[in-house]
Amino acid sequence: MQFNRLMLLLHKEFLLEFRQRYALSGIVLYVLSMIFVVYIASIKVRPEVWNILFWLIVLFASINAVVKSFVQESGGRQLYYYQLTDPASLILAKILYNTLLLLVLSILAFGVYALVAGNPVKDLPLFTLVLGLGSLGFSIAFTFISAIAARANHSATLMAILSFPVILPILLTLMRLSAIALRLIQDTSYRKDIVNLLAIDAILVTLSFVLFPYIWKD
Amino acid sequence: MWWKSLSVVLIVYTILAGLLPPLKPGITRVAPESAHSGQVIRLQAYGYNSKYTGSDAKDIRFWLEYDSLHALAAQELRVLSDTCLEAVFTLPVRMPGTGQNAYLNAIIDHPKDGVSLLPGALELVQGDSAERVGADWGIGLVQDLHIIKDFTFPYRNVIYESIRNTYFHVPMWFALMFLFVASVINSVRYLRNGELEYDRRAAAYAETGLLFGVLGLVTGMLWANYAWGKPWSNDIKQLMTAVALLVYFAYFILRASFDEPEKGARLAAVYNVFAFASLVPLLYIIPRMFASLHPGATGNPAFGSQDLDNTMRLVFYPAILGWSLLGFWIAGLRIRYQRLEDKVLQIEV
Repeated sequence: MQFNRLMLLLHKEFLLEFRQRYALSGIVLYVLSMIFVVYIASIKVRPEVWNILFWLIVLFASINAVVKSFVQESGGRQLYYYQLTDPASLILAKILYNTLLLLVLSILAFGVYALVAGNPVKDLPLFTLVLGLGSLGFSIAFTFISAIAARANHSATLMAILSFPVILPILLTLMRLSAIALRLIQDTSYRKDIVNLLAIDAILVTLSFVLFPYIWKD
Repeated sequence: MWWKSLSVVLIVYTILAGLLPPLKPGITRVAPESAHSGQVIRLQAYGYNSKYTGSDAKDIRFWLEYDSLHALAAQELRVLSDTCLEAVFTLPVRMPGTGQNAYLNAIIDHPKDGVSLLPGALELVQGDSAERVGADWGIGLVQDLHIIKDFTFPYRNVIYESIRNTYFHVPMWFALMFLFVASVINSVRYLRNGELEYDRRAAAYAETGLLFGVLGLVTGMLWANYAWGKPWSNDIKQLMTAVALLVYFAYFILRASFDEPEKGARLAAVYNVFAFASLVPLLYIIPRMFASLHPGATGNPAFGSQDLDNTMRLVFYPAILGWSLLGFWIAGLRIRYQRLEDKVLQIEV
């Protein structure tokens, strides 16, 4: 794995996204529609419900944003990458790109949701940190699972059933941290939760490196 | 094979030794349940599995304990029946500590039955001090207790006889964990050398693990129905276990959703390793963050050492071994069945 190669692959991801702008617009529109549906369905959103609904919106938006990362590239192109690069750079580039994509998406979702349903966040720095951690965790888990799901026939269904149980520890920790940022619960030892989250991320990213070559080769 | 016989022996032992021995004598309740300070009360204690008539009333001792230092001894003690004891207590006017009320523990020490305890048996309310009956808290009264060593299980309020479920509910989780670990090891081996035999093993261990997971949930729900009042109370451990089982259902769906068995086997093996890594936070980290009804919930979701006494250990550890060996036996049969089926279907063996 070389840094140059990683940067090139990352650049390729951005280029790909830029050339297929409809996909990105689609995801943004998906987030916006979901926020409005949620808002119209429950006009008055209490902070507890706000927290839960926000993370559900981010969860579904993320899964839809990430699922295409391997599906969109045909078998022929995968073969082409196979000759050019190594699996570790490829998965790392995808994870990094998806982290940035999800970060942008979740900040956008937060902005619009706060505008529409009110902003109960009391500790904005912590909440921003939670958004960042969430993007990282979702990106690692979903990118890897989407690589598995892309190999199967019914990838969308498979993506959901494979990733929801795996994402749950991350999601629960995120919801708890964001509840702290909303001052819904008092907990001064939330740093431990952040460490837990980073530990889970570290385990999953290590496994992604180790296991990705087995998914990749056909 | 010797270990299969051992598992049968251990499970028979678990069932016999887990169900037949009686519980230690205990106190189910006292009547009345509350009193004012400064009163003289006639208190009846109802025993469970007790043989109060087995020795003279003067040898039986009965205390109401405020804390480890302060206690009251019974004055006139009469044995009404094997399970009923009556005693007179003169309650002091003042509490040893501050506070308007206190819950006193009832302790009965019987030469043959041994000592039994009911925590928070009598609520003592600070009364108006109009009737002043002199009596003081005794200091360090509760001592020279009769500890009976025999093969009986502890008496615990709320769970009573269902304490025996410890030998069935808890070993299921041990067996599940051993089987899932075996499954992951075989998945790793499959990824390393690509022999279908390892994939068969991984799948069979995961299947059997899933079976034990379902059994663990069912025995847990039976227990919960008795001890917590309803089978499902959305306890964090119940939820996390349900999710952990979903992971393995997803594993089987993934494994079956490919036309070429080798591709399915490889991707399923990858998912098995990945999912197992997420199972660890699911079962061991997340439950620490939330309140739970399970014993030893806050800080330590595992089984606390104070929840087992030496007699229970004599059944509990063999039970873990017995059920786990049974799990591996079932998985072994499953592997052999699958091997034959693959041979019939002309898949590479």
